[in-house]
Amino acid sequence: MIGYLDLLLRLTIWFLLTADLSPANIFIGVAVAFLLPRSSTKRAVLKDWLHVLWEILQAIPIAYLEALEMIFRPHPQEVQTREQVKPNRTLGLIFLDIFLITFTPKTIVLKYQEDGWYKVHWVRRQRRGNGRVQERGGPETP
Amino acid sequence: MMNAILITMILALLLPIYEAWQDDNIWQKMLAFASIATKTSILILVVAVLRDDWTIGVVGVLILSVGNAALMLLAHVLRRLNEL
Amino acid sequence: MIDALSYGLMGLGVVFWFWGTWPLLGHRSVLYKLHSLSVSDTLGSMAVIVGLLLKIPKEWPLLVLALISLAIWNTVLGYVLAYCSTEGGGND
Repeated sequence: MIGYLDLLLRLTIWFLLTADLSPANIFIGVAVAFLLPRSSTKRAVLKDWLHVLWEILQAIPIAYLEALEMIFRPHPQEVQTREQVKPNRTLGLIFLDIFLITFTPKTIVLKYQEDGWYKVHWVRRQRRGNGRVQERGGPETP
Repeated sequence: MMNAILITMILALLLPIYEAWQDDNIWQKMLAFASIATKTSILILVVAVLRDDWTIGVVGVLILSVGNAALMLLAHVLRRLNEL
Repeated sequence: MIDALSYGLMGLGVVFWFWGTWPLLGHRSVLYKLHSLSVSDTLGSMAVIVGLLLKIPKEWPLLVLALISLAIWNTVLGYVLAYCSTEGGGND
């Protein structure tokens, strides 16, 4: 009926923004969360979302490690690859995938193509693979 | 200590400002602007803590949470202009 | 202890800022600069905010909101800039 994940997200933002747990404020938050318009696209599956949340938490230390690696060893090489989107992703999950890839400093998504591929831009240390477009099927491995 | 951090941060802010002034390529300028936007809002938060005045901090948090929507729109407009 | 950690994080953030902003002055491609900017402006700034968070823990809700929105907006802006700057050339 109502996307409860959607509501939860709105309420989290509301409580973080107002930092006030008085009954009146809780009431306003719940009312606003219900009144705001909702999209009617495909429903997200809770399990997928929990998985993505876990991946985001993992991505933070990975991002810092990559940053340190880039600082101590220069990565002068630029490479473009194509990565396949995992099957059965809703739009929200695709957005989160793009977010995860772009969040880590060594990779940036250039383009999401409708036929199920991402164009990903990398910085690398090695001299080989000079700037050409590579095709790879599986999930990303550096 | 906070003063020293603040001053180094302002020095770091000068780099993208200089880049925005000296580079004529529009995308390089956009990059510099994006960098300036983030750095100034973080600076606002640091100043808020330094002066122990959280009303300034609230402004910084608001700027951060509204985000650089304008820069994104501008980027799309520029892309369209380039396509013409 | 907490104080030292907080200053350490802010220092790390400032180091990231300088390291990532410096390449902006060079003559590399927009995408290459974008990679180093994501080190400095996203990760460096996140470190600074966590440092501030340790200094004034009582304002945690707003600072956590700042942290989350900083990470999301900066990453999305990086994607939008990468997409727009490569598409505009008409080489696709």
